[in-house]
Amino acid sequence: MLDLRRRSLVRRLVLIAGIWTLLVVLIAGVFLTAQFRSAAIRRFDQSLAVLTDDLYAGSTVEDGQLRAPVLTDIRATRAYSGRYWVILDKSPEGAMRPVERSRSLFDSDLMLSSKQIDRLDAAPGQTQYFNMRGPQDKPLRAAAILARLPGYADPVVFLAAEDRTPIDADADRFAGVTAIALTILAGGLVLATVVQVRFGLTPLFRLRREVAAVRRGKAERVDGVYPEELEPLAVELNALLAHNQEVVERQRTHVGNLAHALKTPLSVMLTEASQQPGQLAEVVERQAQTMREQVDHHLRRARAAARSQTSGERTPVEPILDELAVTLERIFQDKGVEIDWRCPEDLCFQGEKQDFMELAGNVMENAGKWCKGRIRAEAAPSGEARMLLTVDDDGPGLPPEERAQALKRGQRLDENAPGSGLGLSIVDELTRAYGGSVLLGESPMGGLRVRLDLPRAET
Amino acid sequence: MRILLVEDDPDLSRQLKLTLGDAGYAVDHAPDGEEAQFLGETEPYDAVILDLGLPKVDGVSVLERWRRGNVATPVLILTARGAWSDKVAGFDAGADDYLAKPFHTEELLARLRALLRRSAGHAAPSLSCGALRLDPRAARASVNGEPLRLTSLEYRLLHYMMMHQGRVIGRTELVEHLYDQDFDRDSNTIEVFIGRLRKKLGADRIETVRGLGYRLAPLPGEEAA
Repeated sequence: MLDLRRRSLVRRLVLIAGIWTLLVVLIAGVFLTAQFRSAAIRRFDQSLAVLTDDLYAGSTVEDGQLRAPVLTDIRATRAYSGRYWVILDKSPEGAMRPVERSRSLFDSDLMLSSKQIDRLDAAPGQTQYFNMRGPQDKPLRAAAILARLPGYADPVVFLAAEDRTPIDADADRFAGVTAIALTILAGGLVLATVVQVRFGLTPLFRLRREVAAVRRGKAERVDGVYPEELEPLAVELNALLAHNQEVVERQRTHVGNLAHALKTPLSVMLTEASQQPGQLAEVVERQAQTMREQVDHHLRRARAAARSQTSGERTPVEPILDELAVTLERIFQDKGVEIDWRCPEDLCFQGEKQDFMELAGNVMENAGKWCKGRIRAEAAPSGEARMLLTVDDDGPGLPPEERAQALKRGQRLDENAPGSGLGLSIVDELTRAYGGSVLLGESPMGGLRVRLDLPRAET
Repeated sequence: MRILLVEDDPDLSRQLKLTLGDAGYAVDHAPDGEEAQFLGETEPYDAVILDLGLPKVDGVSVLERWRRGNVATPVLILTARGAWSDKVAGFDAGADDYLAKPFHTEELLARLRALLRRSAGHAAPSLSCGALRLDPRAARASVNGEPLRLTSLEYRLLHYMMMHQGRVIGRTELVEHLYDQDFDRDSNTIEVFIGRLRKKLGADRIETVRGLGYRLAPLPGEEAA
């Protein structure tokens, strides 16, 4: 047995409604059938009572002999017709002797059990009703009356009986029809409950879908309009999401502050070391470099952790490429780098603005370092919810065997190149975090082609 | 050469003062944003080395105030914040170069030399078209004194159109002046760049003459140069 608290609400409601409906319908069915049966028997008994009354009233005594009246009921004359009567003489010893009988009885008798005789004895002059067996073992309904006739010594029992099969059949048919009707009713009620529950719980299902969308990063909060019972829950959920976001944001800021706070002391160490050349300076320089890489690495880790909480963001690509192109041309002003970029205006990256800037910025900066003067960047949608960012330069490019190396953390292909040389490894790390990939290749412009496969936000 | 060093860390400040002094620069030091802003507005420096995380007023705000107050001194930002969003924000505020901490002293000196070399020899005749101005020496353009952020290709296109303002210029002519070699002359290249320029300059400055090309003209009410 499952834990009841885990049972589905729908099933729980439908189950309760079903059990209750079944119970009520069952009681109603039994009650109705019993009512019908007793009404039918009452009607039947009345017609039998008329017959016994006729027998009683019409019987005469001639010379100590009892004579039954001539009855016109044709059914009592045909053999085994189903309608019978008999007049019994009850001797003082208690033995019953038929005095007169209907012709329909032919060669059989209707016998009363001693219990039935006792009932007749207890209430002389009053009609009593019994169930009994008749000829051919048919079930009979009988009415009998014990009376004394003037001029006749023994008490006499007038008994009329009729085959009760028709009323039993009627009652059974009625029970069958009632059962069908009530089953339909019960089914209808349960179905109505199912519909009611489903419809009634729709907002709950909608809320569940919205929460799922938030978790998958398709939405940032629960936005729908809800009935007053659910509204507080939606409000609480949003508050929780906001709180979560805030905590993540705070942690991120803390890590960021720590990382940035470490960089100034590192600068001091590097500068101090550079002013006193020697072994110490070399060690300090190397260690400072390692520390810097560590700091950057953990800074990115913190950002990635924050990202997994909120991936619902969408970032338009075009303005970022524009900003980066202007900035990078400024950075490489002395070299005279020209950045030609293309991007559809409605293209959106599925993720954070800062991350996309970091990705595109590092790839384009790397191109800027190596190019002879021209960079081409192109962002375009590709396939289902994906986009490609392709950056080409006209520099020396990378031989295929060095390309894999270029993406590894802390690898510097050229110690003389300005900057940390970490650019592409950062790009690789970030791209992976977004479920994308980096492909290094040969550019038609002669240099390196870097192609990022990234998630695209649907427009 | 007079340099303003804005840095709140005392050790780094001392080292940089020494290094810059050894390299032959006269160095003033401001440990916070307020003092930096005051010095930058009052003293004629040749260049500024500006930290972003400063007490009292942060570096980006100081830079923005200088630029709004027409202080054109070249500024090199020296900061622990090395993310691209920070760099873009720095350049947007009006920085001329950007160096992330930790750095090598030699690199700082090299950047500083380049900065000073670039800023030397301003005063070149500038082009104008209504409220639009273009300074060929600094390769900067502005509308109503607000600097425009243009990439070099956009700048080159604007420069050509300003030299030939009032005249209808065909697409082929424009594309030939945009690219020095026959490189990527796809049919809608010019449309893309004209679209971007319109976004940055305002939509009505560049007129499309159907079938012929484009024309740059002053807005009605502005005076042609």
